Amino acid sequence: MPLVTRNIEPRHLCRQTLPSVRSELECMTNITLANVIRQLGSLSKYAEDIFGELFTQANTFASRVSSLAERVDRLQVKVTQLDPKEEEVSLQGINTRKAFRSSTVQDQKLFDRNSLPIPVLETYNTCDTPPPLNNLTPYRDDGKEALKFYTDPSYFFDLWKEKMLQDTKDIMKEKRKHRKEKKDNPNRGNVNPRKIKTRKEEWEKMKMGQEFVESKEKLGPSGYPPALVYQNGSVGSVENVDASNYPPPPQSDSTSPPSPSFSEDSLPPPPAEFSYPADSNQRGSGLAGPKRSSVVSPSHPPPAPPLGSPPGPKPGFAPPPAPPPPPPMMSTPPPPPLGGFGSPGTPPPPSPPSFPPHPDFAAPPPPPPPPAADYSPLPPPLLSQPAGGAPPPPPPPPPPGPPPPPFSGADGQPAAPSPLSDTTKPKSSLPPVSDARSDLLSAIRQGFQLRRVEEQREQEKRDVVGNDVATILSRRIAVEYSDSEDDSSEFDEDEWSD
Amino acid sequence: MVGQEDPVQREIHQDWANWEYIEVITSSIKKIADFLNSFDMSCRSRLATLNEKLTALEQRIESTE
Repeated sequence: MPLVTRNIEPRHLCRQTLPSVRSELECMTNITLANVIRQLGSLSKYAEDIFGELFTQANTFASRVSSLAERVDRLQVKVTQLDPKEEEVSLQGINTRKAFRSSTVQDQKLFDRNSLPIPVLETYNTCDTPPPLNNLTPYRDDGKEALKFYTDPSYFFDLWKEKMLQDTKDIMKEKRKHRKEKKDNPNRGNVNPRKIKTRKEEWEKMKMGQEFVESKEKLGPSGYPPALVYQNGSVGSVENVDASNYPPPPQSDSTSPPSPSFSEDSLPPPPAEFSYPADSNQRGSGLAGPKRSSVVSPSHPPPAPPLGSPPGPKPGFAPPPAPPPPPPMMSTPPPPPLGGFGSPGTPPPPSPPSFPPHPDFAAPPPPPPPPAADYSPLPPPLLSQPAGGAPPPPPPPPPPGPPPPPFSGADGQPAAPSPLSDTTKPKSSLPPVSDARSDLLSAIRQGFQLRRVEEQREQEKRDVVGNDVATILSRRIAVEYSDSEDDSSEFDEDEWSD
Repeated sequence: MVGQEDPVQREIHQDWANWEYIEVITSSIKKIADFLNSFDMSCRSRLATLNEKLTALEQRIESTE
């Protein structure tokens, strides 16, 4: 819809109700002439506006030209002075001096509120302001601005920024993984044949049609490949990683980081399966598409961490209360989805560690490739990262966040089918049970608060670092280029091939 | 009858003349507005080419420096 920049005001000259006069025709003429004069007035304002803008632009150019002229003069002086002194040139100096790097200033924030032309700004100001929903902000528990749920102008930028930051982190992790693999496998002669095989598989899958590829992706992978789905949003990347990861569960040397986790072949798919529907059901409402995919990501750390030391890498969570509530809660959801997989041997072990990430959705670790080894150093930054990145999506999740733990404490214990220690709890008398529950609640709350503080600190740090499009993009591109230089050019090609 | 029509006729005639006058004025206003718009556009395009030349010159001077 085109916006009119400037308007000449009395648009209709003679559409008016006439006062009751004797000579109506004369009356009309006079009214029309008066409107014409008003139009001339607004026309002059219009013209002044136009000439003002052109004048400011011309002025800036004039100043730039004058500075350029000064520089040319200085250079001229330098050159004339330099002619006699020819001894300063030396071959070493030519080679060792730093290469010329021009300082290219990228234009940023081109379409900002400040760059709006004045007449359009005036038109904008005649509109109604949004309702003062920010008065409700102090009543919110999660510390977000209430107006952001109604209208958030920075929503898309935040989305994009989170995506970029995530991509950079993933690329860095990829690099680290590659370096690790390089160190681990001095003899990499086996790599090429394996990759060729996966390509064939890829093409075969493509033969059937893209729909089948997607279904396979949902069933098969866990951890890393789905992460790539939501990161790049391109089927190609999914296919590639899918192909690369689907055959090599027994092969430890794969591009995917949870290769140690893949050693337990049956384990990753079930948790992924159950976490997928569970999460999509929970966070179904009001989420944008890309956000949904990124929201699905929190389900992936549940599969990945269980394979490491389960309660160990959970900072900010009192470990003793953590295992008891998860098993009772997890016992009910895992059986139905796992029925299709027929690998119920390992649901209890993954379920307790998979549950702790669940309630703290306020800070879910999104990057799926946290290998078990790397998991303990990574959690603090991981936990804090998505909190900044998903402020709009979790309107439903944070409220469900606190309720599930108390509910799990309430529901899980009566329904405890799993033969864990909490079965003894219902048998014990009520005061100890309530004490345990209150302890759990308090611990959970502390955990939440702890995580929020971490999130805030991480957010502040990131805000300080650099909020512009240019810096973020440049960082990402730099990381990507360095990564492609190292290795895995094939991988990058597939990423971009779409 | 003719006497009655005359003042009315004169009035209508006068009215038509007035409207023609107003029409002239409004069409000239439109012409001015069109001229202003096209002047604005052409000025901006010229200033933009100037801008590009300026930036090219600045880069060259930087490299010479």
